[in-house]
Amino acid sequence: MRHCDVYAVASKDIVFESFDGEAVVLDLSTGKYFGFSDSGSRIWHALSSGVSAQALAGQSAGGATISMAELEGFISRLLEYGLLAPLADTPAQPVSADRLADLAQTREPIRVEVHDDLADPIHEVEEPQGWPAVKHTS
Amino acid sequence: MQRVTLENLTDYARHVLDMAVSNADSYPVTSTVRLPGLNLTVHAGHGPLADAVEHAFVRAPDSQIPSEECRIFVGHPGIGAVPEPAAWGHEHFTPQSFASKLADAGLRGSYFYDLDFWQFYDPRRRVGAQLMRSADSFPPWEPGAPLRAFLHWEYAARGMRLAHAGTLGIDGRGILLAGAGGSGKSGTVVAGLLNGLDSVGDDYVLADIAGGVAAYPLFATLKQDPKGFRRLGLQHRLKSQGPLNWQGKHQFLLENIAVQTTPARLDIVALLVPSIGGGGASSIMPVSRKDAMIALAPSGIAQMPGERESGFRFFSELTRLLPCYRLSLGTQPEEIASTISEFLARGNS
Repeated sequence: MRHCDVYAVASKDIVFESFDGEAVVLDLSTGKYFGFSDSGSRIWHALSSGVSAQALAGQSAGGATISMAELEGFISRLLEYGLLAPLADTPAQPVSADRLADLAQTREPIRVEVHDDLADPIHEVEEPQGWPAVKHTS
Repeated sequence: MQRVTLENLTDYARHVLDMAVSNADSYPVTSTVRLPGLNLTVHAGHGPLADAVEHAFVRAPDSQIPSEECRIFVGHPGIGAVPEPAAWGHEHFTPQSFASKLADAGLRGSYFYDLDFWQFYDPRRRVGAQLMRSADSFPPWEPGAPLRAFLHWEYAARGMRLAHAGTLGIDGRGILLAGAGGSGKSGTVVAGLLNGLDSVGDDYVLADIAGGVAAYPLFATLKQDPKGFRRLGLQHRLKSQGPLNWQGKHQFLLENIAVQTTPARLDIVALLVPSIGGGGASSIMPVSRKDAMIALAPSGIAQMPGERESGFRFFSELTRLLPCYRLSLGTQPEEIASTISEFLARGNS
């Protein structure tokens, strides 16, 4: 078990929207997009609302039971991507029966995909020192 | 050379805007272009950008919604007392922090690193300044969609948006085509135009979501790589062909190939995500809104400086307002156009 299993959205640069239950997250600072499966979306929403990882482990999602190892792997990716940040000494929010029922109805594995190759497909730019400049082929 | 950092960025922006306006009488070329809800007056020096302003826009009809007046100054040393552009200092930054700093002062701006190419806009006064080293010192994509950053800032301030999408329609109803480069978006637009469909543009169109989704034309520019150019038979249709553009593509105008006059507006009834099919007939199948959003939003936000969060919210709302489909493309332009025509005629969108 992690020392901390309560999290929050990492910064105000992380914004998200839901589409028919599937979340799309944008990191405004990097321009990277993240697309979640239906179960991943529910878990993202729960974790970013302060529900503890422990409260989600053992629940049903995507036609299976969520193991703590699977959940920790998923959370590690969200931390690595800079989408979540741990909250120390913060009490967890309770998880509602409705949220768990919604999670149980999902059909896909817990998954998040990174879309970082879409930034500027037309202009083929790169960002030396952060600024766009024409990409030169070598 | 003056160095700009986040600390003095706002002062520099105001200085560039003030210098542009104070030299207003020195610009040799002044053009006014009527765009949707906007009378755009451009002051510039002679050169490719002044030429592009004359040819690259689709001019809105006089009957369209009331217009605001907007002035853009395209300056470089040699025009009055317009100064050399400054360079960015060595301070760490991100484009987001650059945009935020200016937004805090009520301004918008962008900087193109390779060329010390600055653009600043004051949406309150509707005045913009583009500062370049010389008349031809601009990013290579500028002539195809001139001054698009200023239009992006102006329309974003009104709750509208420049969408990086193609369009096709019939009788005022149309579709948005969203996808990354190479997805077949531009080829689909040209295929439709050659076979009697309408379009309000490829690459960038003005999108409004007040009272449903509508798309308006801004730029007349179309592009095709040489392979698509041949496949679509454009070498026989276009009497004169200029040099390939910086991407190695043929560049031409809507009016060069459209059967009808460009409509002033299309009411958008569906969002289609094209993909190159396996060689069979074209097909249109439902796709998740999440996937459609990821096809539509990233390039539209990345290619427009600043306003990232408002863009994300705008494109999210637009995606929710429309049914979304994947368009698997066949190889025959007539068949692609026919598939889209039948889709629009069925009204199942």
